[in-house]
Parts: sequence; C-alpha cells; structure tokens
Amino acid sequence: MLGRMAVRAVLVWAVAICGVPFRSIAQVTVVKPGAEKVAINTAGMRPAGADAGRVFRATLDSDLERSGWFTLTGEVASLTVAGVAEDSRGRLEVSCSLLYAGRPRNSFKRSYNAQSSDARRLAHRVADEIVEAVKGVPGIASTRIAMIGSVGGRKDLFICDAYGGGLVQVTRQGAVCLAPGWYPDGDSIVYTSFHKGFPDIYRIDLSSRRRTRIVGYPGLNTGADISPDGRSMVLTLSKDGNPELYVMDVSGQRVTRLTRTPHAAEASPSWSPDGKRIVYVSDSSGSPQLYVVSRAGGGAQRISVRGNENVAPDWGPDGRIAFSSRRSGRYQICVLDPDSGEPEEQVTTDYVDHEDPSWARDERHIVYARTARYESVLYLLDTMGDPEIRLTAMQGDWYSPACSPK
Amino acid sequence: MLSRTFYKVVIVCCLCSLVGTGCFWRRGGKGRGAGGDFSDSGEILDIDRVGGDNPLGPRFADGVPVDEQFQNVLFAYDSFSITDSEISKVETVGDYMTRNQDVRLIAEGHCDERGSREYNLSLGEHRALAVRAYLVGLGVDGARIQTRSYGEEQPLDPGHDESAWRLNRRVEFALFR
Repeated sequence: MLGRMAVRAVLVWAVAICGVPFRSIAQVTVVKPGAEKVAINTAGMRPAGADAGRVFRATLDSDLERSGWFTLTGEVASLTVAGVAEDSRGRLEVSCSLLYAGRPRNSFKRSYNAQSSDARRLAHRVADEIVEAVKGVPGIASTRIAMIGSVGGRKDLFICDAYGGGLVQVTRQGAVCLAPGWYPDGDSIVYTSFHKGFPDIYRIDLSSRRRTRIVGYPGLNTGADISPDGRSMVLTLSKDGNPELYVMDVSGQRVTRLTRTPHAAEASPSWSPDGKRIVYVSDSSGSPQLYVVSRAGGGAQRISVRGNENVAPDWGPDGRIAFSSRRSGRYQICVLDPDSGEPEEQVTTDYVDHEDPSWARDERHIVYARTARYESVLYLLDTMGDPEIRLTAMQGDWYSPACSPK
Repeated sequence: MLSRTFYKVVIVCCLCSLVGTGCFWRRGGKGRGAGGDFSDSGEILDIDRVGGDNPLGPRFADGVPVDEQFQNVLFAYDSFSITDSEISKVETVGDYMTRNQDVRLIAEGHCDERGSREYNLSLGEHRALAVRAYLVGLGVDGARIQTRSYGEEQPLDPGHDESAWRLNRRVEFALFR
C-alpha cells in the first residue's frame, strides 16, 4: 500500500512537472445530465426457505447498485422492490413487484422460477428487467464478456460475467487467437485463430461446443464483426493482394469487397446499430485513423480528427462510437457521435494505455483493456462518472473484451 | 527433420512437467478466478466449412523446412515501405529463390507491441505483401510465395524499448521444399 502510494506520489509529481493532464480514478466525480441516481429500497424483497433466497437478494442488491442508475437505501425511497424469494427443495420461486412512491399501481409484478443453483443468474435477469422498466435501457447484469487471456505464454478465449465473476476458459488450443465478437443471439462467438497455422476466422457455438472454421482464404482473415441482423459479417481479408474490407454472408459465401486502397491497410470494422454503415481503421492517410463507409461500399468518410492514431472503434447501440486514441503518447478511450456534429469526448485520463473499448448494451458502460507496466487488465468504465470496476484479477494479460448483445 | 523431431520431444517434455507441477490448466479443474471460480469448458468439436477459390494460390504450410537463414527485413513504425537499406536483404532472398526453383516461401509479417492488435495484424500482412510484391518484381513466381501476419503476437525481442521494437517490426522468411 505504501509502495502504491509512493508510485502515485511519483506519478503526480512527474505529471505536475510534465504538465500532462492527470487525475486518479477516485478523483473523477463528474455528474452528467441523466446520471442522477434514483433511490431504491429493496428491504421488502424477503428471502425465505434455504440459502438461494438470500443469494438472490444479495445479488439483486449488488446488481442494482452496480448498474449505476440507483442508490440503495433502507429509508423511504421513490422506488420500492417487494416480494418473496423462496428456496424450497432445489427450486427458487420469486415474486417481485416494483412500486413507484405516490402511485397506486405497480410498475410491474412478475413471477420467476429457476433451479436454486441458478439464483445469481435469475437475480441478474430481474435486476436487468428493473433497470429496463425504470430507465428504458437494458441492464447489463446478465451480460457476458468474451476476451483473450494470455496466461503462461498461451493465448486462449475466455468468458466472464458482467462484473468479472464466473471466468470460463473456452478454448485451449495453445494457438494464437484474437479479436473475439458475439453473434447477435449471444449463443456463438466469432474470433480469429492460428489453429491451422494461418490467421483464419472461426465460430464457436457455446452450447454445442462446436468450432467451425468459416473463413480461410490465403493471407489474412480477421476482424469479423457480425451484422445486427445476424445475416452478414464484415471482415478484413488480404486475398486480393492487400488488406481490405469485405462483407459476406455469415456462412462465408457471397463476398463483396468494400474498400479499394492498394497503398493502405484496413482493420477493425464495426457495424452501425442499424446495419447500414461500417466504421473501420485505415492507414491511407499515413497513420491509422477512423473512417465510415456505407454497407453497399462507395466513398469512405474520415471521422477521427484529433490524435495521431485512432484505432479499435466499436459502434455502440445508441449510435456513439467508442475508440482508442493516442494522446501525448498514451492510448485514451474517446466517444464520438458521427451524426451529431458534437465534438468527441475523452472518457479516460490516467497516463496509462486504455485500449479495445467495447460498449455494454446499456449505452453507458464500456469494457476496455488497461495496460500499465506491460500488464493488461480489463475494466468496466462508466461514461457517466461512477468509479471503474476491475474485472480480471488473475495473473496474465487480459485484453480484447467484447460485451455480449444479450 | 531431425531437429524438428527434437523440438517436438522438448515441447512435450516441457508440457508434461507443467502438468506435473500443476501449472497447466487442469481439465475439469477449478481455480481461483476474478471474483469466482472458473471451470474448464471441455473439448471442442472441429468442423471445416472453408472452400472456394484461392486467388493467392493454395497454402503450403506443411512442406519440409529448408535450413537456410536470411536476414529479417526491418520497417519503420506504422510503415510497410521497404527502405533502401533493407532492399538488399530482399534481393538476397530473390536470388536464392531464382536459383532454387523447388523452394517455396512464407513471408511472415510482424509488428512491435504498440497500438491495436487488430490493426497490427493488418499492418504485418501489408509488410509481408510488400516483400512478396518486391520478390515478384524480381521475377519470382507469386504462386511460390505465401504471406502470414502475426501482428504483434510473436515478438523477436521481448523488451519494451525502441531497440526491441526496431527488431520486432520485421518480415521473416520461412522456406519450404
């Protein structure tokens, strides 16, 4: 702890000398419009029977708090959650109502049941439904995060829960893998692997545990992003002699070329939420920058203006693009709405590298890889100003996060 | 061929010792994860759905490696241009390929660790393709040259400074017969 404080003191001193803007995480306390929290009282949600009821209630409380939208209180609150979570003979039965103060009718009254061993998952679902009912955006407690973990020199695909628990190793190939992304149904993951010696694109069906190599042209096959309707993918191929973007249907047939830049490399495509446009990286200007192109091809428009490198764009559900921008020698996460004309917003400030942003579906949180002293760790960042949450704690490097769409 | 088998034996021995000491992931085992346990996902069934035309020619990853050392072609940061000082290295390879018509080659593109992994994969491919294009210009049949980008995934020098990065921004030559 003392060592940590010393490091921080040295950093503050170094930054003061260099004049680089710097704030520690704890000092960021910006309250933005829409970020005011709603007081919620869950004391009326009573656990009953065996343990799972208490697990359900504790998970629900923690999910509501971490959603960022609520303040939990034991006092009179504008929102009240009431009901029973009863664990009986291996089954968990939950009845839950959500009441607004001063309104006679329930906002909702719902019943659920699950195996007692699924108490946490059920609590995530109920918390997400409460967030959606109150704020009109989906909650993220049920979100899963795909990532690459590099442990002991091996790189494999992993999945964890929204707040870092339940880490599961999906592949154990030993071959280099990168760039995971989700199919819209949340049942499969697309990623790039050197499983057969060259960078090819694979699909893993999480329930059947089936892995299919779906694209494997000579040269480079990478960066696949599945369209919001699940029918197409956009990806980077070098089969025609140069890394370019292509759109093809998800089975790997009917290939259409999107870009024609013989003197530039393209990378990192990401679909717009309506599936009509694609944001991607190209170094046609001499450094990697962000461009937007129509799904049908045609002229591309550069959208990044500041920073000598802008990479790893992720087009979020509300139309804003998160990306990593090199500023004063470090990569920072920035957010840009290409259609609003508003200036971009830099949402990280620490003097370390912040890379690979992935929007959570609540349009508020971003998962990213934070690299300090050559170690990468995943963090859940709140664009509305709540403190970050560290997601990975195990030894190794953790990067390229992708939030599930469901 | 002998050295290849030797390496395989060494690798298998290393893996066995890892399993023995418990460092290796245990199947069905549990470990301490970030805020929870992680469990093994079990085996994965493989299917191959890849076919179709191959404008760059079929891949040849399985040939017999040719024991011939060539100097790596080095590149500037974020660049795929072959600079004047590097051209002679490519020409040496071109001469060898012209004299040994039965040899095929994979140009392997690499980047330093800075920047996005996905962009680096494209940049590494662009470097390998630039070398391939130069060799084709020297008269080597393009069907004898494959490209493979490792991006920043396989640095030659594990250091984190310019002297390491300079060596890591490279194209390596892997030759097969």
